[in-house]
Amino acid sequence: MAAPESNRPTFATDAIPSDVKSGVFLGNSILDNVVSCLIAMGTELWSTKRRLKVIEAVMAKNGVTNDMIEKYVPSDAEKAEWEKDRDRFIDLTLGPMSNEGIRDMAAGFPKRG
Amino acid sequence: MIGRRTLFGAATASVAFGTMLRQQVAEAATMGAAGDFSPRGADGRLQRLASLDLESQQDFTLGFRLMHGKKIRAMSMNAFDRVLASKGVDPATPLSLEDVLALVENEPTINIATKAWLANQQVTWKTLQDHFHANEDFYMSEMEAADKAGPGSLELNPTMNIPDYARHEIHIQPGGYVGDPFAGHIYHYGTNSFYISVIGHNEQDQIHKATAARFPIPEDGKVKRILDMGCGVGQMTVALKERFPDAEVWGIDVGGPMVRYAHMRSRRLGVGANFAQRLNEDSKFPDNHFDLVVSYIVHHELPADITRKVIAEAHRVTRPGGVYYPLDFNSGGVRSPAHGMYGRWWDHRWNNEVWSFEYHNMDFTAEIAKRFSMVKNAKAALPGFGVRHAIKA
Repeated sequence: MAAPESNRPTFATDAIPSDVKSGVFLGNSILDNVVSCLIAMGTELWSTKRRLKVIEAVMAKNGVTNDMIEKYVPSDAEKAEWEKDRDRFIDLTLGPMSNEGIRDMAAGFPKRG
Repeated sequence: MIGRRTLFGAATASVAFGTMLRQQVAEAATMGAAGDFSPRGADGRLQRLASLDLESQQDFTLGFRLMHGKKIRAMSMNAFDRVLASKGVDPATPLSLEDVLALVENEPTINIATKAWLANQQVTWKTLQDHFHANEDFYMSEMEAADKAGPGSLELNPTMNIPDYARHEIHIQPGGYVGDPFAGHIYHYGTNSFYISVIGHNEQDQIHKATAARFPIPEDGKVKRILDMGCGVGQMTVALKERFPDAEVWGIDVGGPMVRYAHMRSRRLGVGANFAQRLNEDSKFPDNHFDLVVSYIVHHELPADITRKVIAEAHRVTRPGGVYYPLDFNSGGVRSPAHGMYGRWWDHRWNNEVWSFEYHNMDFTAEIAKRFSMVKNAKAALPGFGVRHAIKA
């Protein structure tokens, strides 16, 4: 990772890496990883929201005002499409809250049939 | 806090700055084909990050850092106190580090603050590093174009033996100060949010300029040569050159990528400072050469034995009557309550402040006083930090 893939002099040398990724702070490495994921997710979400703010600002300077956006009435087709996408988004991001954790990892397959 | 008006109050500075920006835009245009983005210009002294998303990612990690300082840290401290209370320990009781760790090491309600802070820190670095590496050709071309150009100068020493103590990824910055070709870029943008969340805004070098303005000078008023030891990305070196435009100002640092970025940035700002990749403890300058020798928050990132060597080297290169002011945290016998001890520990262990315990356990002021005369009742160059105004007899 240290040196870009080129023959140009970089004036960099080998570093002694930190072991921060192997640290377990919450008693369970999965919990630690979830926290890392949440913060990364927040970073991406905020980047998207901030880009929207910029887009709205640019649009406003070009005649599309925030008021026009606020008062926009979607067509029935748009509504249906957006609701479908909303439900997909919620299912993806928050659906796992409904997982029933009733089996430990060593459990065998449940009886079938 | 220093307002932007303070920085740009002088009309002459504004004119010079405008000229400089036009030059930058022209330079960027000639190199535009190298990157897959268009340079976004500058916000005052700071080159804007090259993509809106990257800027927003940094904005998020800054925001998270601010929220962490206000809420998550408080929650963690409350949990810490509850753990101590449940064990019948008075929080004011002096505890050894081992005692503190034994009490809290398996407490997620405390450690979530550490984990979240570190995860945020990792995102800060990773997003920056990913961008600079993804656009390597553009950024390498920028540095190559600046390497041999003035004002000011750059000396790189690719065959220099980099000591192991300097190879660590301090602050978990990937590659640290020596191991990534864009270490200077990454450090500069990453640390802007450190400042805002701890001391105040520094995107326009406000902290460095204000500190440079407070550094004491020799009694005879002669300031012809200045050395900034461990200059990093050169913010203090530049601020000193701006305060003393007629002086010969040098910044030295072990990190080649750091001084390379420092020189490029100094040149962009139209400041003729000189940068060299050298060791603080072996600066190569003649005896009695400098009127003023400073460092800025460097020593807590050095082993104690190296700090002693750097003080000796500073003494060698400072002229009689010259001033030595190594700015850093308070150290030596500073007692912390249990939570403070814990905070210091995780910063050391997990934020990879590898040498900070050695620094804090050493009486830095006393070490300086072994070679220099310390000025009594001296003023702090940066409030809240150690006051070490020293004079070479």
